[in-house]
Amino acid sequence: MGKSLMIVDDSATMRKIIMRTVRMSGLEFDRTEEAGNGAEALEKLNTNPVELVLCDINMPEMNGTELVKKVRELPACENTKIIMVSTESSQEIVDGVIANGANGFITKPFTPEKFHEKLAPFMN
Amino acid sequence: MINQINVNEAMLEGAKEVFETMVFMDITEAADQNQGIEGWALLGSISFKGTFEGCLAFCCNVDCAKAISANMLGIESSDVSEEETCDAMGEVANMLMGSVKARFQEQFGNVEVSIPSVVNGRNLRSNLGEGAVRISTIVNVHDEHVANLSLLYRERRQHK
Repeated sequence: MGKSLMIVDDSATMRKIIMRTVRMSGLEFDRTEEAGNGAEALEKLNTNPVELVLCDINMPEMNGTELVKKVRELPACENTKIIMVSTESSQEIVDGVIANGANGFITKPFTPEKFHEKLAPFMN
Repeated sequence: MINQINVNEAMLEGAKEVFETMVFMDITEAADQNQGIEGWALLGSISFKGTFEGCLAFCCNVDCAKAISANMLGIESSDVSEEETCDAMGEVANMLMGSVKARFQEQFGNVEVSIPSVVNGRNLRSNLGEGAVRISTIVNVHDEHVANLSLLYRERRQHK
């Protein structure tokens, strides 16, 4: 699969900010994808799985929580790691998405150091 | 019972955290709390509902909004598009709401938040109607711009 990353967020600007922060964290990916909501992400992941997904929670059409559940049903994505990136910080929400199959959680506002800490363990 | 002074402090602390880590700009409480936002402005807001309902807003003029967007994206202000400026203002409101919510989890309880919205115009001001409490602070952004942070809330009404 190679080092591949997908950023899922309904804000195009936030996708750019996340991408910038990933670069600043020192982590490098061979392939990067973007999606504006869960439905678009699911369609792309079904045909072109990635190693790591950074996913917002509050999005129109299909939110991040639903996306995590759907991705876990995709055989092509059995090794895909999903890290949620959100302003939501309540333990109930964090526990909920982890129980649904997410592998980690980054709270906004974030720093490159935080990205490195959370993402590096999943990089081969 | 919500202490308005604590909410104001939480809003300011949250804004400082967001601006230091994501916008790379300083936020300080302005000495003159009576000044307004000059010129064409953008207001990013996010609403919430739970035990309390209301909205949090961040308002500043276009030059300030462009500077914020440019810093968040790591590009020059002159290269920032209108869409990027709006997106960044919405995201600032979203992150501010997250910071305030995290600091007031106990008092506010679990709240659902909306997707952020951004409007532009002159003399912009959020309004929640009757029975709402308004907490508003004028801040200096990087000692160059003036912005307004506001939080309006009231106990949630039971709609029939």
